[in-house]
Amino acid sequence: METLMVDRVHSSLRLFMHRNAIFLCERLCAQFPSETNVQLLATCYLHNNQPYAAYHILKGKKLPESRYLFATSCFRMNLLREAEETLCPVNEPNMEVPSGATGHYLLGVIYRCTGRISAAAEQFTQALTLDPLLWSAYEELCILGIAEDTDECFSESTALRLQQEHTSTPTLVKSNFANENRVLSSRVSASLRDISPKQIKQLHANNIAEVSGYPHVRPTALHVQNSSTSNVPQFDTPSPTAAQTSSIMPPPLFRNVHAYQNTISGDAPTKQKANGVNQPLRRKYMDEARLKKVSGRLFNSDSTSIPRRSERLKDTATNSNSNTSQFGGNGTGHSSGSRYEVIDEMWTDNISGTSSSVSTADGRSFEQDKAERILLQDSKLALGIRELLGLFRTLGEGFRLSCLFKCQEALEVYRKLPESQFNTGWVLCQVGKAYFELVDYLEADRYFELAHRLSPCTLDGMDIYSTVLYHLNEEMRLSYLAQELISIDRLSPQAWCAVGNCFALRKDHETALKNFQRSVQLDSRFAYAHTLCGHEYSALEDYENSIKFYRCALQVDERHYNAWYGLGVVYLRQEKFEFAEHHFRRAFQINPRSSVLMCYLGMALNSLKRNKEALEMMEKAIAADKKNPLPKYQKALILLGLQKYQEALDELERLKEIAPHESSMYALMGKIYKQLNILDKAVFCFGIALDLKPPAADLAIIKW
Amino acid sequence: MESDAEEAAAAGAPGAGRLKGSPELTVDADMREMAKTAAWSVSSCKAGNGVAALRDDNLDTYWQSDGAQPHLVSIQFQKKVQLQLVVLYVDFKLDESYTPSKISIRAGDGFHNLKEIKTVELAKPVGWVHISLSGADPLETFIHTFMLQIAILSNHLNGRDTHIRQIKIYGPRPNPVPAQPFHFTSREFMTYSTIR
Repeated sequence: METLMVDRVHSSLRLFMHRNAIFLCERLCAQFPSETNVQLLATCYLHNNQPYAAYHILKGKKLPESRYLFATSCFRMNLLREAEETLCPVNEPNMEVPSGATGHYLLGVIYRCTGRISAAAEQFTQALTLDPLLWSAYEELCILGIAEDTDECFSESTALRLQQEHTSTPTLVKSNFANENRVLSSRVSASLRDISPKQIKQLHANNIAEVSGYPHVRPTALHVQNSSTSNVPQFDTPSPTAAQTSSIMPPPLFRNVHAYQNTISGDAPTKQKANGVNQPLRRKYMDEARLKKVSGRLFNSDSTSIPRRSERLKDTATNSNSNTSQFGGNGTGHSSGSRYEVIDEMWTDNISGTSSSVSTADGRSFEQDKAERILLQDSKLALGIRELLGLFRTLGEGFRLSCLFKCQEALEVYRKLPESQFNTGWVLCQVGKAYFELVDYLEADRYFELAHRLSPCTLDGMDIYSTVLYHLNEEMRLSYLAQELISIDRLSPQAWCAVGNCFALRKDHETALKNFQRSVQLDSRFAYAHTLCGHEYSALEDYENSIKFYRCALQVDERHYNAWYGLGVVYLRQEKFEFAEHHFRRAFQINPRSSVLMCYLGMALNSLKRNKEALEMMEKAIAADKKNPLPKYQKALILLGLQKYQEALDELERLKEIAPHESSMYALMGKIYKQLNILDKAVFCFGIALDLKPPAADLAIIKW
Repeated sequence: MESDAEEAAAAGAPGAGRLKGSPELTVDADMREMAKTAAWSVSSCKAGNGVAALRDDNLDTYWQSDGAQPHLVSIQFQKKVQLQLVVLYVDFKLDESYTPSKISIRAGDGFHNLKEIKTVELAKPVGWVHISLSGADPLETFIHTFMLQIAILSNHLNGRDTHIRQIKIYGPRPNPVPAQPFHFTSREFMTYSTIR
């Protein structure tokens, strides 16, 4: 009855019948109280968005899965300290973090939320090593600005490791000998696929029953390196290459191998709770295997390539981390540590000199067919893993570069994607974001629009899109976007950001502020909402509050350079020039390519009277982005302050060609002419300035 | 624009044009309401119709004075500000003899040195009455002051007390880009002028 109930609960969960699942599970727990059932009930509660219920029933449980579920419920209820305590108890520093990669990821997120960046980074790296396909961990590392190169994270060795895991997991599940052969050959094929085709040919050429045991060796070695806790004796089973047409192992030896196979598969996935379970099983297999080995030896003359295999095992063991091209060392016999000596011992007594392949006609063809089929399956698996990792490599690299604000490079990387992947919401939003950082709002607009059209329900990048429209002064489209987003999801912070931007564009700062505050309420970990609130307070001249909100944004995400910029502007207005310079510099350090930031930094330096540096900064800004007229204007302003009138005029003349319709430019020219006492030109310039309709404040100044 | 017309009417000799009031509040985009953080006080009021009614954005609630003329509304700012426009909402049809007819606007540093800067007369106004504070000279577009006082000197039909439903004070917007002598007008400049 218990299994029946568990099965029903699982199927209810799968089909989203949460209340049904909860009811059944509660009956299950009442009837068969066990921690696994309690975990299942907690899972049901979490699916049904009732983390408090899960919290209540899991409090105090010690099993790793329970601890993970408890930590998740604490996290959802915002009880970060308890979550952390569960995942990583202070009193027991050696306790493993439960649930492997995801546990580390959760712990990393908690550390990030509580401000411990380096610890968070450590946890994310750990999570990524344990499970290279955990994209979120890599994403978090990028956001923290310290992700490694994707070539290292999603490299060949991770591909191999993944393959190992994926082919081993079936063996774990079906731990009875029922499908030994299949397992065996899957191992074989997996290993074979590790090797490049030319190496397989080499195998063929050697006409030896290749020991594909080395893939077992390799991953185990890898795992040994990765996991500090695997202290299991690394018995490597030489496994026959059933796929090799040239050699098929006889059934008894098959079973032999399989026994060890299981042991290996038990080792291979690290940090899986089944580890503990596997230990006793393994020993049993080993004993059986030994028996069988002996019997096999008695009844089979082959044990053929076993010595060769073992040697090859050693070879490959040493080459464990390198790419497969190093395979082929044939019996060079360097030992790779004590773990393989065991194998030596095991097999030395089996060494018989024959190198002919084993041939027992009976089971051979049958095995061969089955093995071939499975080889095909697993070759697909290996190929699939490689493809996935390739995709991750491109996406990861693009994301990493855009987080480091190297936007041009990021764009190039994204363009390498196949069209089907490129035309998806996420990628297009990232591309749009990259253009946004490059201050190329038109392109950004184009891409964001495409993204929104292709997947109207992706809300993630829409807050940036609304900012782009704000910059482009597109009132209509911005209000349309805002309406749409609200109708899609009233409870998403991005939608309210868009609405706020809409009001901000009309200079209705109070309503904009209200909307941004709503956005903050909906998700207090959304840094951009805080920054936008800060901007609005700043526009309302409420500097205290704006500083407060900018600081909140920085608490959430220290690399949010908009917040640093905002603080700089506030201090500039308050004439605290030192502070302003410091904050602009921090923003500049995070995003060193933005010409606008350089411009502001120059302005701050100018206010501090460090004119040389200011001019240098302006030059840099001008060089960084030819289309940005502002640095030139600022440069002219600085030169005016230094009383270098002619140079200032030259600068402004150059500027006139780029932006001929800017009233402030003519006003400045007029001012300079007035200083130089060339009054007719001054009047002329002021006249043009007036024609271009400046706001009233300027009118007063211009009309002197 | 409405406001321009009103300004033109009032920009002549003080009190020359009689203001009528317009049903809509239309203000130039480059002006903003300045008195949100100011201290408002009135010379007298009836219970339930106090100074808060002047700032509640509700045209149904009004301030009713309860004393001798002139009735005064004083607005004190935290720092010296530039002001350009005063807008009042009054309604002759509803308030009749409570509707102000002669209004004087004074400015200064405090209660002790207020000086009259503008006087206007209203003629049965219904709606928003715009009173510009600018002088004829372009240099006098704004007044710089710590305090503004709106004095109701007389009402229509010689009423004693007055009703005012809403008052708003406008001044220029600050430059969104700090430390600049001039505003930016063209799209190219504005796109690159801030980071949001």
